[in-house]
Amino acid sequence: MFSTSSQLKYWTFRGETELAELRKEANQRFRQEHGSDMMVEKQAKYFLTAAEEKLLIRHFEFILREFCVRFLPPMPKYVLGTALSYFKRFYVHNSVMDYHPRDIMLTSVYLASKVEEFNVNISQFVGNLKGDREKFASIILGFELLLMDKLHYHLTVHNPFRPLEGFLIDLKTKFKGVDDVEKLRKGAEEFLDKSLSTDACLLFSPSQLALAAVLSSGSKEGMNLESYATDVLLAGAKEDEQRKTIYQIKRIRYIVKNQEPMLRDQIGPIQKKLEQCRNQENNPESEIYKRKLEEMFEEEEEIQSMKRARMEEAQKKEEQLLLGK
Amino acid sequence: MFIKGSGACSECGTALRRSNFRLQLFEDPYIEKEIDIRKMILKDFNKKEEDFTSLKDYNDYLEMVESIIYNLTNNIDVESTKKQIEFYKKDNKDLIKKNKSKLSKDEEYLEMLIQQEKQESEVQRQLLQEDEARQKNMKLKNKETLIDELMFSEMSAADIMASHRELTKVTDTSSTLPKKATTEFSTGIKMGVQDTYIPLSKVETGELYKYEPVEVFMCGPKFLSEEELAILGYLNHVRGASNPDRGGGYRSVMACQRALQDSYCGLYYFPDSGAAS
Repeated sequence: MFSTSSQLKYWTFRGETELAELRKEANQRFRQEHGSDMMVEKQAKYFLTAAEEKLLIRHFEFILREFCVRFLPPMPKYVLGTALSYFKRFYVHNSVMDYHPRDIMLTSVYLASKVEEFNVNISQFVGNLKGDREKFASIILGFELLLMDKLHYHLTVHNPFRPLEGFLIDLKTKFKGVDDVEKLRKGAEEFLDKSLSTDACLLFSPSQLALAAVLSSGSKEGMNLESYATDVLLAGAKEDEQRKTIYQIKRIRYIVKNQEPMLRDQIGPIQKKLEQCRNQENNPESEIYKRKLEEMFEEEEEIQSMKRARMEEAQKKEEQLLLGK
Repeated sequence: MFIKGSGACSECGTALRRSNFRLQLFEDPYIEKEIDIRKMILKDFNKKEEDFTSLKDYNDYLEMVESIIYNLTNNIDVESTKKQIEFYKKDNKDLIKKNKSKLSKDEEYLEMLIQQEKQESEVQRQLLQEDEARQKNMKLKNKETLIDELMFSEMSAADIMASHRELTKVTDTSSTLPKKATTEFSTGIKMGVQDTYIPLSKVETGELYKYEPVEVFMCGPKFLSEEELAILGYLNHVRGASNPDRGGGYRSVMACQRALQDSYCGLYYFPDSGAAS
């Protein structure tokens, strides 16, 4: 349930300002770690700004959705929702420059399909990609654990899709003011789709999103659902709660309706800039990354062999003790 | 090599006898060797527990035997070990001889058990035989009387047959063996009688469990129970459960309740209220 979830506790934020601040902090952190020896002006030129990062993230969210919609076998909506949630959550505390959104995007979808029990194996998964599939597979598998770690293993995502079904059932049963509830479905689903390209899932509860979707679809269809919300659904609520809930719904509808347009022509330059300033340690194609990986393997091997040696020695000692020598 | 029945090993010169060769029983020749040596050693080291004054002495003795066997199988101090054995043999000549013909207490007990079992099965067999013989006699007798009656009686043949059938039926059922109720399990434990009384250890009793309904923090309107959902007619608006569904334990109310719970839960989430941390 959402009310007792890690989603509410750790991944639902107070508002857009808090989100913007957190993202800016992540941006600043990266700048400090990688550009401490630079002049301020050079820094400004060299690194992406938080706003540029935001644009890039939105661009890749769009690509992620396209990828999921075209995915074969067809992917259920909630996998997309979960994947987008992972993606968004990841970049609340991490900078685009640290981890390239293309890598994280693919890993998010792969992880989401696992968590939501949409069963595809890695070769099937990269079969949906064009290009060097083996490379993609190794990237995804390489970043999977990192992604989970950065999400603090809070992998359960409460999507607004099931609450929407709940509201439709509730409407059909309790509210007599509408003849054909199913008419609302299309509009509501469209609304939820649109909401996915906003930060709404980081700000509101899934049920509020679903309710906003139903109400918005209702007004589009010319049905008056306001009385359902106030007199039926929230009939038992305190006046204060009712008022605040309705305010939340209004905020959602406002946010979803007034999205900034995508500025596609800016994406190219930003990406070029990113190639310059990104953290090469996390770039699977860079020499540094490869070297790091190798070192890690070697280290692991070293640890293993050390362990082995230690174990052998212990065994020898034990044997000697047994023999009483 | 064994033309004469015995000969020396071509490599080490140990005298070998053809009769001492046999098929290897175990995969590991080491085990084979160990068992061989064990057999040989135990022939002489045949002291019983009763020959010792305390259990510790007996255990020490067993340990000594084991170490001798171990030494011999692993070729450790073979010479001195053999000497030790010789000494032992000399010292305990009488006892060895005596024990050769004597069984230990455990063995005696086992022997007794086997004897007892044998006896019981014998008795059972006899009883069965007797019973069979009796039945055979009875049948024969019945047949004779039937023929006699058919020959001399004045009743019609059908009546005689009928009355006779009744008679045989009665005797058939009465001929069951008087069964001896089993009073023991095969392990020798007496049935029914539980003379070993195990005192229950006193259990510390804590506070009695008291049921308290779980309070679910919903952050939204009160959600409905399964019964309420059914009464209010929610189930008319969800897909009914098919037979295979029901076989798997699924009921349509589950999906319905889950969806509704999800849509009610979190409706009263406001970023500045206590709900958000």
